[in-house]
Amino acid sequence: MTQAEIKLCSLLLQEHFGEIVEKIGTYLVRTGGQPLRVIVSDTGTSLDQVKKALCVLIQHNLGTYQIQKRGFVEYSVQCSRVLCILRYPRYIYTAKTLYGDTDGKTMDYTEVSSTFVRLADTHFVQRCPGVPDASGPSDSAAPPAPTLVIDEKDMYSVPRLNLIGKGKRRRSCDDDDNGEHKAKKQKQDLESQEPPPDDGIYWQVNRDRFHQHFRDQAIVSAVANRMDQTSSEIVRTMLRMSEVTTSSNAAYTQPLSSNEIFRSLPAGYNIGKQVLDQYLTLLADDPLEFIGKSGDSGGGMYVVNLHKALASLATATLESIVQERFGSRCARIFRLLLRKKHLEQKQVEDFAMIPAKEAKDMLYKMLSENFVSLQEIPKTPDHAPSRTFYLYTVNVLASTRMLLHRCYKSVANLIERRQYETRENKRLLEKSQRVEAILASMQATGAEEVQLQEIEEMITAPERQQLESLKHTVNKIDASENQVDETIFLLASYVDSTVVAAAKKP
Amino acid sequence: MAEVKVKPEVPDPLDVENRIIELCHQFPHGITDQVIQNEMPHTDAQQRAMAINRLLSMGQLDLLRSNAGLLYRVKDSQNTSKMKGSDNQEKLVYQIIEDAGNKGIWSRDIRYKSNLPLTEINKILKNLESKKLIKAVKSVAASKKKVYMLYNLQPDRSVTGGAWYSDQDFESEFVEVLNQQCFKFLQSKAEAARESKQNPMIQRNSSFASSHEVWKYICELGISKVELSMEDIETILNTLIYDGKVEMTIIAAKEGTVGSVDGQMKLYRAVNPIIQPTGLVRTPCGLCPVFDDCHEGGEISPSNCIYMTEWLEF
Repeated sequence: MTQAEIKLCSLLLQEHFGEIVEKIGTYLVRTGGQPLRVIVSDTGTSLDQVKKALCVLIQHNLGTYQIQKRGFVEYSVQCSRVLCILRYPRYIYTAKTLYGDTDGKTMDYTEVSSTFVRLADTHFVQRCPGVPDASGPSDSAAPPAPTLVIDEKDMYSVPRLNLIGKGKRRRSCDDDDNGEHKAKKQKQDLESQEPPPDDGIYWQVNRDRFHQHFRDQAIVSAVANRMDQTSSEIVRTMLRMSEVTTSSNAAYTQPLSSNEIFRSLPAGYNIGKQVLDQYLTLLADDPLEFIGKSGDSGGGMYVVNLHKALASLATATLESIVQERFGSRCARIFRLLLRKKHLEQKQVEDFAMIPAKEAKDMLYKMLSENFVSLQEIPKTPDHAPSRTFYLYTVNVLASTRMLLHRCYKSVANLIERRQYETRENKRLLEKSQRVEAILASMQATGAEEVQLQEIEEMITAPERQQLESLKHTVNKIDASENQVDETIFLLASYVDSTVVAAAKKP
Repeated sequence: MAEVKVKPEVPDPLDVENRIIELCHQFPHGITDQVIQNEMPHTDAQQRAMAINRLLSMGQLDLLRSNAGLLYRVKDSQNTSKMKGSDNQEKLVYQIIEDAGNKGIWSRDIRYKSNLPLTEINKILKNLESKKLIKAVKSVAASKKKVYMLYNLQPDRSVTGGAWYSDQDFESEFVEVLNQQCFKFLQSKAEAARESKQNPMIQRNSSFASSHEVWKYICELGISKVELSMEDIETILNTLIYDGKVEMTIIAAKEGTVGSVDGQMKLYRAVNPIIQPTGLVRTPCGLCPVFDDCHEGGEISPSNCIYMTEWLEF
């Protein structure tokens, strides 16, 4: 955990859950897994509060516990899960666009249940692991903490429930005559006397699935930018077909035959089979190498090259950052070094067609910011500088990690600035809230127009303007936090996928 | 029958020399010792050696080494007249400079090759320059370095820098203009292909332009005062590739089609970038020059960041 990550985690925890949770959470992120007693003694908070904080953390899937060998339980918080909090707005937005927005109107249970089933079928929500049935002998000592188990195939199966007509619930929606149907419900405040049959089954959001979806979106939009709309639709179809069959860390999707792709194209696209084949050939031949051809059976087997796609996207992000920070000539040198791997100073000038003085200046600037590095190749054993080759090179993984660190710090800065702005205008905000409360209560009791106007004028015009600008500021900072999070997602996915690929190599 | 004694004819030394010179004229590439022996079987090795040495010292023959052994070549008579007034050292230095061809040779290298001290070399070089036999050319790579070459030779491209340098200065504006022109040409070609709305294969193939087409277009535009070759245009197109605006493929082409080199053709196509400018650079922190000094509670902190204040006022 780098300093920047820890700082960001503590800011997020504080903003969403409060001081105590923040203290416990930051402590656990920094020191790894700790037993309960140690947490209490090190952070100086009371046992009660620590327990509550841990409950909150585990409930929100940020913390876990583990039974150690010696018999005590250790609690830990995972930094990556806390950083996912940044992405919650994106998850919600994706779910809205995919499965429809409620628009604030009350949903009836049939809509809720059908939407929920669809979410579970496409693996966006999954079942939490549960306590196993007590099957061991009764005289064995109960373990200090239950081990949660979940069966693979049960993870996405929604139990069929029937809605019992009691209180707020409606009649059953299914007309099957099997008496055991129950519709799925997520309400916490159950009012029935008997526990519903799906008691103890809890659902959580499947973050990996959402991340897969974001990655697919990024690939499809890259293809759309580079080629045309139809090609991106084909790639989207291919990715959709491999959604549930490919694990999130795979380097390639499963091979898909062109016949299957043709059958699965969305209904609106009536392109002929030959045209589809042409598009697939073009995609496979493109220098981007997002799609590869893996065989000829079934009209041609095609795979999506996920690892390569992530690498291209991460490289494009790097290039865009260099371009915005240093200028387009530096970006030219950067891309040149990415292609040719190692180059001498003179060769850089020749290939990039930039005058020697400027090229030197730019290379040194990038070197000082650690975007490029030098590789020495000595001609003589004494490494004399006049007799050594110095080659410039770009190490993509190292640069990605450095930029990721910078992104985390940027988001932390943005959050701090937002909190500062809110603190500065706290008095004004409180005043406006009071006025609104008064207005609302007066409207409820049926006050006159004139009185309402008087109350409204308690907020003067410059104050109103200040409030407007504060709202504008906070919105802007929020939006830019989301934008930086998109960069974080691309870079982090690339780093993870490279680490996995390197670990797989023998 | 009495033995007839044939008196060995002592050939005239001058005769031998003239004969050798005639032979040299016959074979302007040079003759080996073997050839002389064949032609004049009545001379023995010592006489041949004497004649050759005399010719060498008179400066009428050149001694070269080749794979087969030593070669003798007749020296250009014009040159021999020029060198009449010089002594051996100057001749040596002149020879070294001549060998360097049109790339020229640096004074330190002359010193190494001739083993003469620096002062001598400088004197000789000044002498030769005043006689207008050699000239000094400034190298574009290291501006302080001067290379010497024969007076009537054209300096090589690597010394003057070729089409991109005029008087030792890199012409960046020229390169920029060419860059933009080529890109515009490729872009309009890609646009036209996209508008045509035919099947994708044809669309893609028609958006490609070969390097030969681009070269013709640039020549016809007439923006360049210097004659540009196809390799020059290819270096410009490579810079466009490094700008991320253009991609290249190589296809096999029949020998004889216009623009093909060694049976291959390079095709270029204008492309769009695959992502929009990324999120990090849309915030002030992504471009901040004092990013590493910024932390809460310090002189530079997010709360009092002036870049953020400006940015929030948009």
